[in-house]
Amino acid sequence: MATAPSDYALQEDFVASEQYEVGESVSLWQDTWRRMRRNRLALIATAFVLFVLLVAIVSQFWTPYPIWKQGVGPTYQTPTLKHPLGLDQSGRDILSRLMGGAAISMEVGIGTALLSSVIGIVLGLLAGFYRGWIDSIISLVINVWYGIPDLLVVIMIVVITGRRELLFIIIAISITAWVNMARLVRGQTLSLREREFVEAARSIGTRDFSILFRHIFPNALGPIIVQATYLVPSAIIFEAFLSYLGLGVPPPNPSWGAMTAEGYRSLQYAPHITLIPALALGLTLVALNAFGDGLRDALDPRMRR
Amino acid sequence: MDGVSFHVDRGETVGIVGESGSGKSVTAMSILRLVAEPGRIASGRILFGDEGKQKDVVQMTDDEIREFRGNDVAMIFQDPMTSMNPVLKVGFQIKEAMAAHERFTPKQARDRVVPMLKRVRIPAPEDRAKNYPHQFSGGMRQRAMIAMGLSNEPHLLIADEPTTALDVTVQAQIIELLRDLNRDLGTAVILITHNLAVVASLCTRVIVMYAGRIVEEGPTRQIFKSPQHPYTWSLLRSIPRLDEYQHEKLLTISGLPPDLTNPPPGCKFHPRCRFRVDRCLEEEPPLGEVDPGQKARCWVLMRNALAAQPQQAGQP
Repeated sequence: MATAPSDYALQEDFVASEQYEVGESVSLWQDTWRRMRRNRLALIATAFVLFVLLVAIVSQFWTPYPIWKQGVGPTYQTPTLKHPLGLDQSGRDILSRLMGGAAISMEVGIGTALLSSVIGIVLGLLAGFYRGWIDSIISLVINVWYGIPDLLVVIMIVVITGRRELLFIIIAISITAWVNMARLVRGQTLSLREREFVEAARSIGTRDFSILFRHIFPNALGPIIVQATYLVPSAIIFEAFLSYLGLGVPPPNPSWGAMTAEGYRSLQYAPHITLIPALALGLTLVALNAFGDGLRDALDPRMRR
Repeated sequence: MDGVSFHVDRGETVGIVGESGSGKSVTAMSILRLVAEPGRIASGRILFGDEGKQKDVVQMTDDEIREFRGNDVAMIFQDPMTSMNPVLKVGFQIKEAMAAHERFTPKQARDRVVPMLKRVRIPAPEDRAKNYPHQFSGGMRQRAMIAMGLSNEPHLLIADEPTTALDVTVQAQIIELLRDLNRDLGTAVILITHNLAVVASLCTRVIVMYAGRIVEEGPTRQIFKSPQHPYTWSLLRSIPRLDEYQHEKLLTISGLPPDLTNPPPGCKFHPRCRFRVDRCLEEEPPLGEVDPGQKARCWVLMRNALAAQPQQAGQP
């Protein structure tokens, strides 16, 4: 039963003499990037998203013509060398407005994704971790909120308050968009809180706050980021839709949705006014979704194929 | 769990053995008040500290219990593969364990990480501290867990089946490590296991549990030499030994542990006991002293049973 001491001495020598190869530390993000690079569609999508972001930033400092300046050329003009994407019904340069629209779309998309993620993550963590009556209340709110059409809520908020500046639009969309994130985080937290490393952390006296943000949150980060990237395109289309209905950012701000709506009236003889922003919107949404898919596959190698 | 009462002295190593579901882990979890949801501590006391100024864990506030965990008592778990946070570096996690209590300043905590890893004999500790858990082997992870548990210099380390998930050779190293740490640091150890060999090589005292009760308790040597409860006796006879009973068949304990939501009347072991008498079916025996330092919960006791039916010893 009891092993002779000499055996243990032998093992110690063994431990001491063995040459250990200490592997280089590959961080999660290096690893993710490595896998993402192999996915061509995701790579193209990433490049496109980065391009739109770049255009959005550039538009804040420079556009070929001032965004809201009317009559820089003949109205309804089709693309020419001077105006590569043509002019709209007020004689404004569509390329310039498209660039400005990219900025608005990106601000709405990213702003909403950040704001609603924060709301969703905090509520989801609290509900999943503490359970009990906190979870009951939060889950009830989630379920009720889930049953009400988002668009209705946002339209009501915008109409009732009558405020249409960009930040307010972001807040209005975020109020409806946090629900999915909260559900996701709650589910992740429920499963992670039962994991042994959480119990181990608790057994050495770690505070609840540390357990939540050091142990549970980072382990749920992959799905959270993927969910957040999907929030961006859904917020962009939401804003475009609001603008199309005339409830988005007020003119003459060049929202892609508003541009599409304005051109709709002259669709028969000047289709480019509608088609160009619609195409930009469509491509950006596809790229963002493909980017999200690629990120999801890269973050969770087990889920691939 | 009912009527479980035991003590651990400063610097002592106590083994708790028993089969799955006998309440070993729940006992350990209760000490830290970590019993999982439907379970709860209905009554009882868990005293910790020097004679005269003991604190009752059951009465502690949430803040007190948090300070108590890790600072006074640390715990290491069965499966080192899942006991570490996969997204944080090992060194960082050990540092976090110290940061959870104000015993060390942040700088001291940082400086203690590598010596702690060295103390649990992790080779190249400077490099290893920067690794993620998945880059560690199972044995190394269990060592790192031990380092984490000991980082706040607790008085008591509860090891819940620390070697069950490991290779046999690595098991021996971990047991050796626990023994040395117990000797060098004076940390008392409660070792929960169903491996009797581990108990024999590490523990000074052993507690045998069955169906949520202590059925036998005493110094390891004495228990191994002359077990008095039939369950302990059967357990010891059910493992192969090189030195004794070479020509005998190994004993099996027939049946299953009782359903604890509907326990049998009388002695909880009687349905599986080959030495039972009528009294066992009706009345639960108390945990009585049978030899100096040794207690058993049995009406019959093995010394009487073997004297009465000597053929039973060799005829399972």
